[in-house]
Amino acid sequence: MGEGMVDEILRVENLHVQVEGTPILKGVNLTINRGEIHAVMGRNGAGKSTLANVVMGHPAYEITEGRIFYQGQPLEELEVFERARAGMFLSFQYPASIPGVQVGTFLKKSVASVREEPPKGRAFRKELTAAMEQLSMDKSFLSRYVNDGFSGGEKKRLEILQMLLLQPHLALLDETDSGLDIDALRIVAQGINEVAVNSGCLIITHYQRLLDLVKPDFVHAMIDGVIVKTGGPELALRLEDKGYEWLDVAA
Amino acid sequence: MNYQQMAIPPRSEHLWRYTPWPRIHPSSVADVPDADDVIFTLNGAHNLETIPHSKDSHDDIARAFLQSAGGSCNRLVITESSEPIHIDARASGHIAVGHLHLDVKASGIVIIHLSGEPEWVGIHLTGKVHPNTQLSFGFINELDSNTKFLRCEDWTVERDAELEHATLSIGGFRCKSDLRSTLNGTGSTIRQSVTVNAVGSRHDDEHVEIHHLHGHTNSDLVMNSACSGNSHFIGTGLLTIAEGANKSDASQVFRNLLLSEKARAEAIPELEVLADDVSAAHGAASAPVDLNQMHYLMSRGLNPDESKALIVNGFLLNAFSNISNKYLTEEMRTRLTVHLECELKR
Repeated sequence: MGEGMVDEILRVENLHVQVEGTPILKGVNLTINRGEIHAVMGRNGAGKSTLANVVMGHPAYEITEGRIFYQGQPLEELEVFERARAGMFLSFQYPASIPGVQVGTFLKKSVASVREEPPKGRAFRKELTAAMEQLSMDKSFLSRYVNDGFSGGEKKRLEILQMLLLQPHLALLDETDSGLDIDALRIVAQGINEVAVNSGCLIITHYQRLLDLVKPDFVHAMIDGVIVKTGGPELALRLEDKGYEWLDVAA
Repeated sequence: MNYQQMAIPPRSEHLWRYTPWPRIHPSSVADVPDADDVIFTLNGAHNLETIPHSKDSHDDIARAFLQSAGGSCNRLVITESSEPIHIDARASGHIAVGHLHLDVKASGIVIIHLSGEPEWVGIHLTGKVHPNTQLSFGFINELDSNTKFLRCEDWTVERDAELEHATLSIGGFRCKSDLRSTLNGTGSTIRQSVTVNAVGSRHDDEHVEIHHLHGHTNSDLVMNSACSGNSHFIGTGLLTIAEGANKSDASQVFRNLLLSEKARAEAIPELEVLADDVSAAHGAASAPVDLNQMHYLMSRGLNPDESKALIVNGFLLNAFSNISNKYLTEEMRTRLTVHLECELKR
């Protein structure tokens, strides 16, 4: 790509989505370019998580109108695993636990599936150890079962560990800051900042505290399934200060 | 009582409801066919000590049949703690029968690997875990997929002794197991797990009885099965706590993963508690693969088949979560993983 050209990662056009017949998203437009961090804020039930899940291809969500493009290609035809292999990553708000499957085994299989040239043997262990140290994760994590009996903070760290190892082009982070104490939040934010340099990043959050550590280029306020206002980091501060009522009229 | 003097048990009996005796008998129920020996080899090197057949009479038809059928009769006495013991049980010929007694006087690990291609195999295993010793025991059924298999076990766990008992059932066409343990002294414990992978038209009936005869005894049973194709799995448990066996703690959990529309699974835990002050719990659940788990793994790049295989592998391995001996669980894990990878490639 030539200097000055924009590398578009995600484009959402007039997206309408329903779940079991109930409309959730009602015309969302959003473009994320490489190197940009976008934050979506909104009340509970506004449709923030739906946006992340539908982009990742969750089967429970039905697109009734509009389109999603990933790196210029329409996404509709891609299965969930194909989206992951194409470089999309969703950090789940509530990641599933999988009893009996060890974290180490899971990470190895996932990296082998997603990365074009996955590191092998010693190289993988070295990379894994470095990422775990960065996130202050003990090695004993690797022999535990995926998210089984994990605390909220442990689950979020495992999500970020996966993101570091999978090196996505698009990172969707669904309330990754919830359940984290201040120290853990700082560690997780460091991981997000590292990945965000070379990818597009969409952060869904309720709180300013994560955005103090991960500086967004754009902040979007979502009300009732529509992005009603877009601004810079100052919008997050205003939402934190004044809530969403002042935007209800716009909605 | 001799086998041929015994009446055929009716299907109304809990034990014979799902796999009636005529269906697991090798031929016609009146017959006691000639059987070849199951050869038990210790750590791949030499055969186990053979002993004369016991003259004890059995009330149970399966045990009486195995006694009448003959076959090899072997004994292993563990008198001092040693490296893990692997016993290869090799069945050959048309019909093969083997008897093994484990006398555990010092703590140890014993893993039996059963293989072979006969039409019918019968194993009767008895064991005594002496006071204040611990046995971690594994049984891996890797018989040919056309073999019928009858397995009976009788364990006695003495005062302050501990038995960890893990079964991995991945072989055989029609299998019937009747595994009985008696907690025969205060402070005795059994932790038992059964993992079954039922594929094709495999039929696997696993019956586990645990009897608490004394107070302050503990038992924990976990039985997990994954059923695909037209397979049928039956897990039945009978947990008894005798009168006066107070402060006993017992639990049974049965879980079945249904992987196809035609697969069937029954999970029937049963409790009989005659003591007043005990803790006893049981649970059973049958369900298809969790779609949230599938979505999570697929969102990490695994295709649907890989995701399902990993979930099934994890589900089956999770049955061993109550087994604390790492060597034993790692052996079971490795064998199961190899088996499932071979299944996936077929």
